[in-house]
Amino acid sequence: MMNWFYILAFVLAICLIIIFYLVTKLQRVAEQISIIEDSLGDIKKGNWNRRILVNENDMTKTICYSINDIAINSQTQLIQLKQSEQAYKRLMTSLSHDVKTPLTSLVGYLEAIQKKFVTGEEKEEYIEVALNKAHHLKDFVESLFDWVKLDAKEQVFQLKQSDINELTRDILADWIPTFEENRFDYHIDISDEECLIQLDQNSYMRMVNNLLQNAIAHSKGTKINLKIMEKGEEVIVQISDNGKGISPHDMPHIFDRLYQSDESRSTNGNGLGLAIAKELVHLHKGTIYAENSLSGGTVFMIKLPKAL
Amino acid sequence: MTNYIIETKQLTKLFGNQKAVNNVNLHVKKGRIYGLLGRNGAGKTTIMKMILGLTSITSGEVDVFGKNIKGREKQVYPRIGAIIETPGFYPNLTGTENLEIFAKLRGTPAPNAVKNALEVVGLPYKDKKLFSEYSLGMKQRLGIANAILHDPELLILDEPTNGLDPIGIAEVRDFIKNLSVERGKTVLISSHILSEISLLADDIGIIDHGVLLEESSMEELRRKNGNYILLHVSDVSKATLILERQFGLKDYSVHDDHMLRIYDTSLDMASVNKALMLDEVSVISSQLCNDTLEDYFRKITGGDGIA
Repeated sequence: MMNWFYILAFVLAICLIIIFYLVTKLQRVAEQISIIEDSLGDIKKGNWNRRILVNENDMTKTICYSINDIAINSQTQLIQLKQSEQAYKRLMTSLSHDVKTPLTSLVGYLEAIQKKFVTGEEKEEYIEVALNKAHHLKDFVESLFDWVKLDAKEQVFQLKQSDINELTRDILADWIPTFEENRFDYHIDISDEECLIQLDQNSYMRMVNNLLQNAIAHSKGTKINLKIMEKGEEVIVQISDNGKGISPHDMPHIFDRLYQSDESRSTNGNGLGLAIAKELVHLHKGTIYAENSLSGGTVFMIKLPKAL
Repeated sequence: MTNYIIETKQLTKLFGNQKAVNNVNLHVKKGRIYGLLGRNGAGKTTIMKMILGLTSITSGEVDVFGKNIKGREKQVYPRIGAIIETPGFYPNLTGTENLEIFAKLRGTPAPNAVKNALEVVGLPYKDKKLFSEYSLGMKQRLGIANAILHDPELLILDEPTNGLDPIGIAEVRDFIKNLSVERGKTVLISSHILSEISLLADDIGIIDHGVLLEESSMEELRRKNGNYILLHVSDVSKATLILERQFGLKDYSVHDDHMLRIYDTSLDMASVNKALMLDEVSVISSQLCNDTLEDYFRKITGGDGIA
């Protein structure tokens, strides 16, 4: 009889323990569910930053991890969308200034001519200035379209195995009159041997043209060097000048779109050349950077992989 | 629903008779970095501690995520990550072990939270190095890793770059910026270094002797503080013609039909005005904007300056 009593008491105790355990477990789950409910409400309202925190041995673990994953992914997409929207807005504002300024002054010149404020030789000069401004504006708008196409990844690329040495020599041949016109000495160091690399020829021409244009317009130097080096699986194109260099203040921003240093704002630049060059280099999975050389002047380096 | 992640209303803290924080109304907007700028002892840390419930509030209110924090601490604090002063870690454990303890205590949003947090701040995962052997910079990084371990919506960072070398400062700045730009976090950060804050913050609050003197967006401040002459004229095309022909000016930009910015501030404005008048362009106003941010803060804090 006593034995039976002990057994019964023992079973009862175990049952109680199990019930107690289950109740606490249930309570924990209920607590978790109310947190999940709360968080989901918040997420539904658009707060994709909300996360649900769980412990290693919670029953709701996998559900919570999945909810968090969904929130993180949506958040990332939302942010990307917002960023491109902002970039577009910035483009529109800078566009309005950068087009408006030359256009306004162009109107000023034309009005002066039309209202006959100027005559004879002065009039001819006004017409020439106005024409220059119109050309500059046209170039700017063209660069801008290129940029927008690049930015929207709409540009079509034709990667071809090409001899970069020969291609560069061809590009430079067209530049020689411009070098001479602007009183620049040039020194070219390109090997006669073939150096095959995968690239889109038009894009490569743009990169080199933009860097040379930049050196002529802004360096205030008298000499341009172009050198091509092969290093293992990479090709390095180096364009340097002996000009005034780039101030440390401007250096971090020179590849930013529409960034212009105080000095270059007054010249014929448009703040797009280097940005376009950078974008093109990136599309070839290469890198581009600039530094001031110790002997004065700036060195631009483009590193391109031979095979993409 | 308000857009403020943190809003304080007449927040005040008394230490004895001294008002450490005096009627502060702070507004931290969602997804932005709010820089609290002030000298040492201005009350920055006390404000942060009151928001986090680490010190009692003498009077006033703190709203976090749009609701008063009182009585909701348990729901609210898991959604905040913070570093206030030096974080307490166990010296005889490694960085990873320390974070695993905090992960157990607070719970995590993903299975590999510790690894992710260490990756963000650039510390090695499962490294053998004990916390006591860490350099000051590594300790600070581990503190930040601990603050972002549970992927919180709001970060409250009290001088997180204290004691770091210049490269470390730049790195920390970059990943705080990234957290905000790429992951949409809201950040409240304090500093006594103006240049630091101006590189990082979207909004700024200037605090001096416990009083919030000014709250403004950096964009607004930058607009106010440039180095140019703002010229408001009746006919902007004609004005540009005169400036180009008579003054040889090329460095300017046109902002709307009547507004010009001239970046060459050495220009003799008296003769410009005269030339414009002679050609029947009326000058409505011309204004020289050449305040630097430093000048501006000096003005606000009444001559003492901050950095």
